[in-house]
Amino acid sequence: MKPKLLLLCVVAWLCWSCNDQCKETRVVRRFSNATYSLMELRTQVKAESPRTLEQPGKMYVKGKYLYVNEIKKGIHIIDNGNPASPKFVTFINIPGNGDIAVRDNILYADSFCDLVSIDITNPTAPKEVGRVDNVFKTGLFDGGGWSLNESVGAINDQNVEWVTETVTVNCEDNVPPTTWWGGVIWMLADRASFSSSSASPQSSGGSNGQAGSMARFALDRNFLYAVSQSQMHLFKIDKPAQPVDFTTINMGWGIETIFPYDNKLFIGSSTGMFIYDNTNPAEPKQLSNFQHGRACDPVVVHEDIAYVTLRTGTACAGSQNQLDLVDVSNPAAPQLIKSYQMENPHGLSINFPTLFLCEGEHGLKVFDVADKFSVDRNQLAHFKDMHAYDVISLGKTLLLIGEDGFYQYDASNPKDLKMLSKIPVGKAI
Amino acid sequence: MKKLTFILLLFLAGSGYAQKAKNVRFVNHTEFGGLFGRVKYENPYAGNANQVDSKTSLTIQTFNGIQIHDKLSTGVTLGMDWYKTALLNPIAGGIRYDFVAEKNVKLFGTVDAGYAFTWFHDDADGADTKGGIMVNPGVGMRVGKPGVAAFTITLTYKRQEAHITKVPLWDQKERYEDRVYNRLALRLGISF
Repeated sequence: MKPKLLLLCVVAWLCWSCNDQCKETRVVRRFSNATYSLMELRTQVKAESPRTLEQPGKMYVKGKYLYVNEIKKGIHIIDNGNPASPKFVTFINIPGNGDIAVRDNILYADSFCDLVSIDITNPTAPKEVGRVDNVFKTGLFDGGGWSLNESVGAINDQNVEWVTETVTVNCEDNVPPTTWWGGVIWMLADRASFSSSSASPQSSGGSNGQAGSMARFALDRNFLYAVSQSQMHLFKIDKPAQPVDFTTINMGWGIETIFPYDNKLFIGSSTGMFIYDNTNPAEPKQLSNFQHGRACDPVVVHEDIAYVTLRTGTACAGSQNQLDLVDVSNPAAPQLIKSYQMENPHGLSINFPTLFLCEGEHGLKVFDVADKFSVDRNQLAHFKDMHAYDVISLGKTLLLIGEDGFYQYDASNPKDLKMLSKIPVGKAI
Repeated sequence: MKKLTFILLLFLAGSGYAQKAKNVRFVNHTEFGGLFGRVKYENPYAGNANQVDSKTSLTIQTFNGIQIHDKLSTGVTLGMDWYKTALLNPIAGGIRYDFVAEKNVKLFGTVDAGYAFTWFHDDADGADTKGGIMVNPGVGMRVGKPGVAAFTITLTYKRQEAHITKVPLWDQKERYEDRVYNRLALRLGISF
């Protein structure tokens, strides 16, 4: 035996670290508090030179122009006259903006607690023409909440940033968490999700643009409806440039989306879907409440069928990922037609019989929904190489927004979408 | 890159087969034993204080190869390691080197290096476990007459990497774990 060799081995064993080393890396949401003066915020709505997409939120279409929300910062106006090469026209700086609606040449936008009306007759030089102060009391952006402090005239805001942290773990916690902290209201998603082929409601001579399943703003006749987390605000827009705070309807917590269709308002909440009769636009009346568990849920409607998605995820507490078809022929008593399992459905859009469904990081799915009982067997296509958050079907064209950018497709053949253009996040066109 | 390394190692190991000498001697060395280690981690339920736990896992492996030299054999090692939350199958190129020849009790060196797969592993919902590089050097003792079956006991150091994608918690959008098992492997086996 060679004693030196043996010694070497023993020393080596002693030196070896027999500790398992496990590092868990997480991308975590971090909040930081900030206070803004309303007096200052109200001077900041103005047109600026076009800029690149950074964190796109909701989108809105009217005529040849696209309006893409930059979460909490403002709105990009994009000339989409040629879908193959959209051009940035202007960026409207609107602090605390998340939603958009356009009637004729007036754009309505929220700016934290205020509703702002902006004249976009000349899209290169939009200007503020009206404002309703202090109508929204609280709000959410990307999980961070803000609240209005009326006594001092300030917004208490939470900024959200994503930080990467690494911690040592015990190498064994491989199981996904089964218990949630439960009831954490500010987890409700407030990112965008748009869609609809038939969202343009009846108008009173004016022309509206198209929003979709995750919009919080809706236009119907002489009213603008804006849902906040627990209320629906009605603004009278007889004079489009000067919206007037008309009334407020309390609805209960977790209101997320509003979708006007056929004299009715379909309101998605984190617990279900409310249907309001809107025959008299000044006085929506609740007809029913379709409860379907706890999840995020944009709604679109075509004729007698409402398409509701539920998803789980970082922003929404819930345990279902599904598409529900709901019979709303009797809006006072909506009935479930069938539930279909999905991966992580976000926004959706219907151009009957084609349903476009965003699956987040799983891409975009296209279904033929002519047979309402076998939607899952009639999947026309699944495009996986993209992140899909919202979609608006305009018939032949399809607008899609995701974390990595804004896409336009030629959808004349829904089985074979052809990309017309892409505006990537963080890059100029 | 990891896979490439693995293929290279396999190739090196396999090259032993190619050198067919006149009297090729087949070598088998099959072992089972335990992987012993600890883990020191920040316990989130105790104010992130460091906590130490002991770890023990079952391991089996079989080395099959040929003797290319009086003291040296080379081959392929297939194994199965039951870690608490990962069932890994390392496939490695290996060598066994006898420090002395022609004795009833021999000290030998052993090295295996390769890549572990997760073919038999079953993930919890939403999780995705991937294996990684494995290296396993050490020494052992072979008790038995030369040329016939013998008992072995080996003491080795085993380093095994793994990567686990986990379901993000409510305030997260991405969560994964890079895991390195550093274990003392004590194995009993037979070889012939």
